[in-house]
Amino acid sequence: MEVKQKTIDIIKQTRKAAPEAFEARKLYLKMRKAIAEALKDEAKTIPQVAEATNIPIGEATYYMMAMLKFGELSVNGIDDMDEYYFYQLTKQ
Amino acid sequence: METQQETCINESLYDVLVIGAGIAGEESALKLADMGYRVLLVEKEPSIGGKMILLSKVFPTLDCAACITTPKVSETARHPNITILTLTEVEEIVRDNKNRFSVTLKKKPRYVVEKDCTGCQECEKACPAIVNDQFQFNLTARKAVYIPFTIANPRVALIDINNCLLCGACEKACPSNCIDFSQTEEQLKITAKSVIVSTGFKLFDPIQIERYGFGRYKNVITSMQMERQLAPTRPFNNILRPSDGKVPDKIAYIFCTGSRDHTVGNPICSQVCCMYSTKQAQLLMGALPMADVSLYYINIRAFGKGFDEFYEQAKDMGAKYVKGKIASITEKENGNLILRYEDIATGKVTEKEHDLVVLSVGILANPGITRVFKKERLETDALNYIRQTDLLQSPAITSIEGVFAAGTATAPMDIPDTIMSAGAAATETSSYLVRLS
Repeated sequence: MEVKQKTIDIIKQTRKAAPEAFEARKLYLKMRKAIAEALKDEAKTIPQVAEATNIPIGEATYYMMAMLKFGELSVNGIDDMDEYYFYQLTKQ
Repeated sequence: METQQETCINESLYDVLVIGAGIAGEESALKLADMGYRVLLVEKEPSIGGKMILLSKVFPTLDCAACITTPKVSETARHPNITILTLTEVEEIVRDNKNRFSVTLKKKPRYVVEKDCTGCQECEKACPAIVNDQFQFNLTARKAVYIPFTIANPRVALIDINNCLLCGACEKACPSNCIDFSQTEEQLKITAKSVIVSTGFKLFDPIQIERYGFGRYKNVITSMQMERQLAPTRPFNNILRPSDGKVPDKIAYIFCTGSRDHTVGNPICSQVCCMYSTKQAQLLMGALPMADVSLYYINIRAFGKGFDEFYEQAKDMGAKYVKGKIASITEKENGNLILRYEDIATGKVTEKEHDLVVLSVGILANPGITRVFKKERLETDALNYIRQTDLLQSPAITSIEGVFAAGTATAPMDIPDTIMSAGAAATETSSYLVRLS
């Protein structure tokens, strides 16, 4: 197959990435690391992860749902009250 | 109809320009294309299919929305007489001296070569940038390079350049070498003999009704957010409340949020809210059998074929319809919500606690397209919908000869009415093109 020249350098000549995009990335990495650490040994519910990481529960929900979408988390059952799902890491 | 010879001479000459590739635009385009007309279908979003492609099921049959939409979307995409331009907006339409419309289009760069992308999503896996997913109504995140949703058509990635880190990871990861950051915005000029406006509607933004707390309280969501949660291509693994991922147990719907409401400038009925809320209530009771679903309404408007039976069915399933407009919502520390309302049946001001509130948002006009017509005025009615100059005899006819309107561009309506409206617009257009030739 013909090797095409990478075009990313072309656009870099005319525009820069937005600082907000880097901030969002940094925040996601920080959240992901904390969530992964909390789930290292056992599956947990969102409130349990929020408690273990001190991440506000709303943010923990958003980032855990993003990780679920990106295939980094999977569902592992539901609690006895049928209220909260348990989530686990898909890979260590 | 245009002769084949002329079509071959001028590749940018179309019989019909259809603006908006939702269900109305697709239906009009397909009907005209089947008659042999050459159609250009222009869509500003990265996928065709409009809002219907994002729905879970449809009322009153509870048919899977995607199962109805996707074949139509595919048929539109593959029809030899239809050319589709996505990520494209109409900038200007002027009638020329041959009684045709000279159209200027602005095509935004996708930064992906459409014909080469296989939709493998390797670029998505490599992309490090995280952004709110607008196609999941911000309930979850997406990457900066992404396929809008699972059943998008074309199923081709695009790059959200404003949130891109310009790291080039997607380009390195792409197995078909189709990422192309050298793409720029293009201006296209085409000529069309007629135009169909099928630009659809906007959803009411409930942030305008402060007492409902949308935007402040995480567990107050819109009906479109619930619709996504109920869809097979949903943002979460199940139906969860956004504040803490709890499976909701007591769910409330507030009807007429931003419709039949003079205070927000939309005094008319949106025609679909009662029924889509009833549909969602039935789906919720199916998905969460123990859930208690209460629906707070002013009046139930179940006017269509099978609608009243559908409403009765929801009540039989256990949906609680409460007549009373919500005065205020307050949030408890655990995220639960207290609804304060006057129960019309008892005449008492009552408070009730729910753990999730769904606002049944209304429909608003989307009149931006009127600005692109130069020299002639595409008139709108008092509520900014496209004015139908002869509503009873020819509802597709607008104030400009050769320009027709389809679907919710003219008024709020449900899917069957949209399909009928689109059929009427196609028929009027065909008749106009015959007269023109």
